[in-house]
Amino acid sequence: MKRRQALKTLATAAAALPLSRVRLRADELPADQVFVLRDIAATVLPSVMGSKGQNEAVDNFLRWIRDYKEGVALSHGYGEPRLVKSGPTPAPGYTRQLVALQQAAQSRGGRFGALPIEARRELLDAALKAAEVRNLPGRPDGKHVVSDLMSHYFRSSAANDLCYNARIGRNTYRAIRVTTVRPRPL
Amino acid sequence: MPVHESDVCVIGGGITAVMLIERLAQLRPNLKITVVEAGRSIFDRQNRPTYHRRAIEYGEHPWHDDYIEDQQARGMISMTMAVGGQALHWGGACNRFSEEDLRLNSIYGLADDWPIDWAELEKYYVQAEHRLNVAGDPSPYPEDRRSGPYAQPAMPLSYNLQVLKQWAEQSGLRFSPLPMARNITGPTDGRGACGLYDTCGDVCPTGARYSPDYTYQQLIAANKVTLHDRTLVRRLNHGGNGDAIVSAIGYHQDRPSETTQYRARHFVLASGQCWSSHLLLLSTSSRYPSGIANRSGLVGRYMNGHKFISAQAIIDEQTFPGLNMTHSLISREYFRCASGKPFVRHDTRVWESTAGKEPRLRSAAGRLLLGDELLNDWRARATRDSAVRLRAYYDSHPHRDSRLTLDESSRNRYGDPMPKIEHRLDEAATAREAATLAHCTSVFERMAQASNGRLTGAPTVSTYWDHPAGGCRMGTDPSRSVVDSYGRTHDHENLWVIGAPTLPTGGCTNGTLTFVALSLRSAVAVADGFRG
Repeated sequence: MKRRQALKTLATAAAALPLSRVRLRADELPADQVFVLRDIAATVLPSVMGSKGQNEAVDNFLRWIRDYKEGVALSHGYGEPRLVKSGPTPAPGYTRQLVALQQAAQSRGGRFGALPIEARRELLDAALKAAEVRNLPGRPDGKHVVSDLMSHYFRSSAANDLCYNARIGRNTYRAIRVTTVRPRPL
Repeated sequence: MPVHESDVCVIGGGITAVMLIERLAQLRPNLKITVVEAGRSIFDRQNRPTYHRRAIEYGEHPWHDDYIEDQQARGMISMTMAVGGQALHWGGACNRFSEEDLRLNSIYGLADDWPIDWAELEKYYVQAEHRLNVAGDPSPYPEDRRSGPYAQPAMPLSYNLQVLKQWAEQSGLRFSPLPMARNITGPTDGRGACGLYDTCGDVCPTGARYSPDYTYQQLIAANKVTLHDRTLVRRLNHGGNGDAIVSAIGYHQDRPSETTQYRARHFVLASGQCWSSHLLLLSTSSRYPSGIANRSGLVGRYMNGHKFISAQAIIDEQTFPGLNMTHSLISREYFRCASGKPFVRHDTRVWESTAGKEPRLRSAAGRLLLGDELLNDWRARATRDSAVRLRAYYDSHPHRDSRLTLDESSRNRYGDPMPKIEHRLDEAATAREAATLAHCTSVFERMAQASNGRLTGAPTVSTYWDHPAGGCRMGTDPSRSVVDSYGRTHDHENLWVIGAPTLPTGGCTNGTLTFVALSLRSAVAVADGFRG
């Protein structure tokens, strides 16, 4: 209970900080919004990861945001190719979305993670629908921070292993012989 | 205008060019060979692990600036234009055509025969397989006999492909591992061993999958070739009243007003099926108003390749998608068509698949899935059975009007009209389209029946022709072809076209190995021109 109260206090304090006074790179999320993101991660990522694993997933996603490059040619495709370049960094949009989710949660009585699960679902459902997110994107696409966090994790090699409970190691370095036998369970 | 002189000027810097140059340099070590490529060199192998990661995480194209924005063709299947060409990011599939491909007219009364014997081409297949370090097993079909072994044993089948082979062979078809140009047994030719990153078609971090840029760097380091990259050849010139080609005119990408005249005893056009025909058509003169090498009027015609039929199946077996998704099984059962039966030829391919087994955000009822719910939903769908990807490349004979033309509505910075490719089947191939689809559907359905399988939807026909070829087809009759069987143009004794453009028909399986084998054969003929 003390921990929950402390988190709430922290979140409230962080939310009160004027954004303009916080020196941020355009490709980073403000600290208070990172806090909100971690809070949301506990809801949208598998519990078997534990809070440590969920925080690592958030850290990986934050690194993804930080290392995002604008205006880079994306895969041209094959067959019917076309030139598409990466858009602007999604970070500012993510920040706005997290602020909106935080405010929506507060209007329902508190921190996002403290709300009943169906209330959290309702908030996320409304937010994703408003952002026109219909399915889990193949990789983060900037439409909504929550679906992008989920995509970043659930499309990963680690999540694939978790789904199949097997050491598959998709797209990672593996000796060929390792792939010739039924993968070992996790 | 600067003049650059050489014995052989190769225009285009893809896989067929580098194979020809490597062979030519062995046969005639003292030749001065120049290769002129419109795109840039991407010799940064040390960065490829990073490109691999960013391709997966961000969808970034791992071959930076491998395209020229105003030098694109309508109907082309890849934008890549760089030293190494499209083989910078090919999968490495190296299956052979079959004798039937060369005898379509003699055996079936369809399309045209190739002006080359199978036994002759087969010798060059063996050479090509060794230069590309192909890993393969002999085909289980006796008709696919070989005169030499593969360079390496086949890529070991992943656990998934072992399961799928057992399943697929219950249909009566026999399957083999697809032969692959990958270093399986260890590092070779300065390239690393396969680490199964499974991103061959994007970028290979170790260099295990054959990539022409490695060979170019070796040839350049050994002073076997001079590379002029970022230089677009816009025109070939013939002599005053003669048929010989005397020069190619190149324009550097950074200095568009500056031209270089390339003079050589022999010119080899190795620019692939699109840009080879395009350059010939652009090179008009009063003597050749329809373009160089085009007295037959056939440059840019009989553009070929093959269409394909795809399907997905679900079977009651467990696989673990992600083990080796870029490798596949191949059956050559339908490379031959029995006489008296309706004509159909195709390969049959099987891959592990995740179709219908991906994580999803919402349940079938539309409920947003969170955390454990999403994982459980995904796990339930993914592990109860397995998805299988099926595909058949089928023999698609081109019409004479299957064409590359100059598109006056699209021009590059110099004002040259860009190519437009429009594939078209000949009358007989058009007439059997429905039967081909029905046949492939029945093959897929027969395969799916084992292990309580089923197709998840009706098989679909591709919207484009894969492994495109043609435009300068080979033949013995100068009125019905552009080049002879070695790629020498009928109209110009010192002008050659090699690889994909020379194919009269596109076969029913991946084309690269055939393009390379033909280019190696062309190299011998070009070298003969320098005998004594």
